[in-house]
Amino acid sequence: MNRTFKIGIFDEEGKFISSIKSLQEKEFKIYDVFTPYPVHEVFHLLKRKSRLPTAAYFFGLFAIIAVLAFLYYTSVISWPIVYGGKPFNSFPSFIVVTIVLTIFTVTIASLATFSARSKLIPGRENTIFDHRATDDKFVIVVNTDILDNSKSEQIATLMKEQGAVEVLDKEFENINA
Amino acid sequence: METTPGLWWYIAFGISSLAAIFGFYAIYITVSQGIGTWGVNNSVGWGWEIVNFVWWIGIGHAGTAFSIFLLILRQRWRTSINRAAEVMTVIAVMLAALFPALHMGRVWLAFYIFPYPNTRGPLWVNFNSPLFWDFIAITAYLLISFSFWYLGILPDFATIRDRTKSKIKKAVFGFFGMGWTGSSHHWIRFESLNFILGGIAAVLVVSVHSIVSTDFAVGIEPGWHTTLFPPYFVVGAIFSGFAMVMTLMVIVRKIYKLTDYVTDNHMDAIARILVFISLIMGTAYSTEVFIAWYSGNEYEMFTFFRNRITGDYTIQFWGMIVCNALIPQLFWFRKVRRSWVGLLVVSLFINLGMWFERFNIVVTSLSKDFLPSNWVSYDPTYIEIGVYVGTLGLFAAAILLFFRYIPIMAVSEVKSVANIGNKKED
Repeated sequence: MNRTFKIGIFDEEGKFISSIKSLQEKEFKIYDVFTPYPVHEVFHLLKRKSRLPTAAYFFGLFAIIAVLAFLYYTSVISWPIVYGGKPFNSFPSFIVVTIVLTIFTVTIASLATFSARSKLIPGRENTIFDHRATDDKFVIVVNTDILDNSKSEQIATLMKEQGAVEVLDKEFENINA
Repeated sequence: METTPGLWWYIAFGISSLAAIFGFYAIYITVSQGIGTWGVNNSVGWGWEIVNFVWWIGIGHAGTAFSIFLLILRQRWRTSINRAAEVMTVIAVMLAALFPALHMGRVWLAFYIFPYPNTRGPLWVNFNSPLFWDFIAITAYLLISFSFWYLGILPDFATIRDRTKSKIKKAVFGFFGMGWTGSSHHWIRFESLNFILGGIAAVLVVSVHSIVSTDFAVGIEPGWHTTLFPPYFVVGAIFSGFAMVMTLMVIVRKIYKLTDYVTDNHMDAIARILVFISLIMGTAYSTEVFIAWYSGNEYEMFTFFRNRITGDYTIQFWGMIVCNALIPQLFWFRKVRRSWVGLLVVSLFINLGMWFERFNIVVTSLSKDFLPSNWVSYDPTYIEIGVYVGTLGLFAAAILLFFRYIPIMAVSEVKSVANIGNKKED
């Protein structure tokens, strides 16, 4: 079944924000919004949160333990060699390797998590509701599948009242997002 | 980048390609015949290659330092320059990595440096060695500076994908744009990831060049064995990096007529940073000399007073002092900070001076150490010069290609600063 959407296009950040607010007041569920740059108010209004920093913290914790364990294994258990009279487990000189390899691991793991969670992979084509959102327009998308005609008309008028330059109806077969 | 380049672009690209071809020839000779083709010898085991390695790595500090320190300091003007600085970083670090790889002699065995379970024992690498730290630090730095740059440019790729009318561009930028739509889900994760990468890259900026400095500082050569090296190297790296950013931005601004975006005030701000760092460099140089004298160690005294301030390598030592500590003082004058010729000339002198500094450190200490029978002089062969010229050519060619095909400025960041969509609040 095709899915139908009301798409409001805005020129100005202020009008776009007030439109989101008034849609939410009338308890219409906003499917998503698209902006040319990050707009922090949107994150609060749509209650978007990212757990990436927490994940990165645990990646780091894991990496520190893994690297120190690896260094201990290679230098003490697997093939102990005395370098300049230092003990096998010469912890102070392991610190540098641990820091750098931790950074390395956190970077790769966070990138992979970001890519997987945001579904951003080279060559992937996510559904673009309106091409102008990556240029200089602000776009609000509302799913109208379960709404009757009068409700979707109400959404269109609301967005126009708040200063939308254009309100479009679009249908998509599959949504990649 | 939505216009075609002028004749100057083809001429510049031609010259840099010729230099790069010379470099490839020199690399071919080095790899096929060995490092006997270089001027290095038993006493001076590190020559131009290490000098140039440290020089490029220093330049490679600018992008990340720029983006991150100025991000932390909430300097919004950085948005017009940080992309160019990040591009420069990625290229410079790749070029830097070339030198230690060639210096291994048998570069096809370079994978021995990876600590993987092997059939040679398993013989692990020496985790206590700064040379190994250096290897992982540079690998991590390359990865993180590339990711940081790519993440920043991702929304811009999407912009080009959605704006262009050419089918090829649409396909190419569609592929590299990775399906970016600018949705709120994308932006919030984008911001978190940017924050994470920025935070850990800040640590790396400081640690990479500290590690490079320990390559020297743990050696017992007179002139190397000092605790001053890590901060001295980090500051020097940022100095040379910012100078290179300035050189590039002066030229780019002139050619692309970007004075509305990269304003005189921006260049003025970089010049002020440079004059400040120059004072730190001057302090570091005098501290080194003072400590050599104050220590009373005759080898240290010899290196500094008889082999640097006077002796065979006076040109490099005084070149370093004049270019890094004295000439940048011209930036105290507003006239110099506001004229593009002044900015260009001073920044080129800093680049040169930083090269002298590395030469001064690497070669003078090695050429005359504790045993006079070991004393030799060092001159580079044309192969060594060729590798260096080649990297300069590759750098210029890569920068030209980048500026031709990829946005110079962080478009989405400039949008958020330039008040599109904020007409009401103005």
